[in-house]
Amino acid sequence: MNHSLLRIAIACTTIAAPALSQDLVAIKAKTIHTITGPSIEDGVILLQNGRIQTIGKAADVTIPWSAKVIDASDKVVMPTYVLAHSNGGMRGANESMQNVPWLSVADAIDPASSYFEEMLRNGVGTIHVLPGNNTLMAGSGMVVRPFGRTVEDMTVADNTGMKLSLLTGNGSRLQKIREMRRAIAAVREYLADYEREKAEFEKEQAAGAIPADKKWEKEIDRKQKAAVELIEKKMKGWLYVPSFAELDEALRMSKDLDLNMVLGANLDEAMPLLAKLKQPVVLDSTIEYFETDPETRKEEQHCSARMLADAGVPFALSLGAGGPTSYPWWQIGTCMRNGLSKQQALEALTMVPAKMLGLDDQVGSLAVGKLGNIQILSGDPTSATSWVDTVVLEGEVVYERSKDPRLKYLFEAAEKAAEPQAPKASDNSKKGEGQ
Amino acid sequence: MTPLLRTAALLRTATLTLALGALAAAQDGVTAYTNATILPGGKPAMSNATMVVSGGKVIALGGADLKLPDGANVVDCKGKTITPGLIDASFQSGNNTQDLNEQSDEVTPNLRVLDSIDPEDPRFARARNAGVTTVHVMPGTRNVIGGLGCVLKTHGTDPKAMVIKEDASMRIVMGSEPSSGNRAIRGGRVNSMYYRRPTTRMGVIWEVRRAFYDAKEAMTKTQGAPGDAPASPGTQVLMEVLQGKVTAVTTARSEQDLRTALRIADEFGYQTVIDEAQDAYMVADELAGKKAVVMLGSPSAEGVGGSAGRDGAAPRAGTVAVLAAKGITFVITTGTNPAALPLINEAMFAVRNGLGPQQALDAVTIEPAKLLGLSDRIGSLAPGKDADFVIWSQHPLDPAAVAESVLINGQSVSQPR
Repeated sequence: MNHSLLRIAIACTTIAAPALSQDLVAIKAKTIHTITGPSIEDGVILLQNGRIQTIGKAADVTIPWSAKVIDASDKVVMPTYVLAHSNGGMRGANESMQNVPWLSVADAIDPASSYFEEMLRNGVGTIHVLPGNNTLMAGSGMVVRPFGRTVEDMTVADNTGMKLSLLTGNGSRLQKIREMRRAIAAVREYLADYEREKAEFEKEQAAGAIPADKKWEKEIDRKQKAAVELIEKKMKGWLYVPSFAELDEALRMSKDLDLNMVLGANLDEAMPLLAKLKQPVVLDSTIEYFETDPETRKEEQHCSARMLADAGVPFALSLGAGGPTSYPWWQIGTCMRNGLSKQQALEALTMVPAKMLGLDDQVGSLAVGKLGNIQILSGDPTSATSWVDTVVLEGEVVYERSKDPRLKYLFEAAEKAAEPQAPKASDNSKKGEGQ
Repeated sequence: MTPLLRTAALLRTATLTLALGALAAAQDGVTAYTNATILPGGKPAMSNATMVVSGGKVIALGGADLKLPDGANVVDCKGKTITPGLIDASFQSGNNTQDLNEQSDEVTPNLRVLDSIDPEDPRFARARNAGVTTVHVMPGTRNVIGGLGCVLKTHGTDPKAMVIKEDASMRIVMGSEPSSGNRAIRGGRVNSMYYRRPTTRMGVIWEVRRAFYDAKEAMTKTQGAPGDAPASPGTQVLMEVLQGKVTAVTTARSEQDLRTALRIADEFGYQTVIDEAQDAYMVADELAGKKAVVMLGSPSAEGVGGSAGRDGAAPRAGTVAVLAAKGITFVITTGTNPAALPLINEAMFAVRNGLGPQQALDAVTIEPAKLLGLSDRIGSLAPGKDADFVIWSQHPLDPAAVAESVLINGQSVSQPR
């Protein structure tokens, strides 16, 4: 195994960023949503070296004198959200060439992108960034946290899988499917040639035609390496399936490859197929859509999250790039409007994506030993009037609403206008007012 | 016809008559909605309240002790919230916006949007299922003066039966939209259909001015006097606007266009409602000074993450709070934002951005009713008003809330979700 392969192997199996803070941090909360266990009223979370050391009722936990205390005793505390699929934060997410498996998002992530700022504002702590949906075989992704000055600072895990997409561009759906099959067949051909050559080398060596001490030196072509790993199932594929029409092909592809699927909204025609999905899937940010019957002109509303819940397939939610679907509370509310439980919706932004990323022992819930990735909200996470007040990543406070320059900019006119009536009103009383 | 067949036909007629009879009874019957949280519109919430409906009207509203009429059909609404049917004061109908933008002229004050209403338009069903019972529809925004808007209930098959106010408004559009895509003549005939003015903001405003000059001039003449030609239909509408008989609605988004809208109204001495008004926070004092009513378009577009502004506007989340603090009368609409959410969720975003919950609900119920001059009929729940209301699964400003039943004139009109 050469050096760079070794590096990939290490990065895949370990959490890169070391604990940033040696200090003890204690968070006092009114309500703690642990996600995997029951909620705790009047609780305390103790973090040490960036990990959760203790979690329990305030009466049962002694806060050490040396701990830095974050008082959220009138607030709601829960794990930061996890996104299993995102194209945000990159400068150029879609390579115009269709078949570019050797690319990596590490070269396109812009730590200064306002996307990461927006993610912190929404309480997101773990993001799987993958190339966009417009490229057939688009390159590999990485898991980052939305905080840090360099990509290295932000990295949680790299080479997390290859992005594949069946999204139809200029041609037809069938053309896209054919292109995908050809691209995969070409990699298989390359690998077969390589292995044949190697076998011949070994055969000739055994026959004595090549000196016994000569080693096989030919490496796998750099442009082919990631794709070869994909077809050897050493690397996961993240396949974007835009609609019901491509689902059949996606299921066929998943027989030969280790695939996670990212499903577009238009799924109602594929209802019987959904139950065939054995593994959890990621849903596109649009989960509610209308469809018109061409004959009666009657419109029907569909919800893809509901369809998967009915089919018994676990799913992770994504967030849109802008507009209402960019807010986790709106996505959760959409699930609940369509009859899903609050727990089910919250899991779709925490535990399910964490499991899909193989990080469920680190993030996605609040439990002893997990990373101290915690968001503090002004109210219930399903309410439109709740705001993320504080985000803690690995024990370190990385976002505070009271110091958010963008929110200050958006609300300063309102604050100025309200001044004569209420000169000392705090941010909370104005923006986080309950219903 | 054999005797057997004749009997069958008779039976069928009898069943039909019976069915019709049952329907009539339901229409004339009395229904009481009990144990509900009622947000009556314009007034504080009532818990554990009862509303009695008969003949398409609300006949009584009260607490748990309200005496129910004999034989009343009782609907238990425990855990549910009832609000008046929502009113969208700027609703875009028409799948095809071409149908709302007449291209033969830039100034078309006398065109009536009512003539293009398609009751089968799925947008009506979509709005209705999300709790909207009344909409104000205006012509599109591609003309400088688009024409006359009307107010409709969202259920029906005949626009004439749906309409509750004809000629409710006249739309004027500021900004670059009426000029976008237009091109000046290059070597062609002046009256060519491919030649459209105006091409600049200056040109847009000039078209408004010229139209009102004509109307002012026509007003100096005695209508119907011998020798005086009658004013054109368009000019007659403009005269009514100048006389305050028809409400002018000026669509303006950016700060510049908002100021222009107020200036032109001042110049010709008419009062105007300001539509869209994304930059209203920048001109709040002027709007308050002129007592202009604002129809704020799609507050959800005032995203935190980025600007969803159109035509140079920079919407900010704090706008609703500014309007409220300055005492400006405003309503919340879905407006011209193609990605607008259901109206109730637009109000929800306003609450997120600092508006009080009751004020937000009023901005989609009683306030638009007042703006449209229909508050004696719709927009609130009180004896004598139209029984247009929505039964919500929980507080309607909760993102998880669903409009479980929508009723217009006491009749259920929503499809089960």
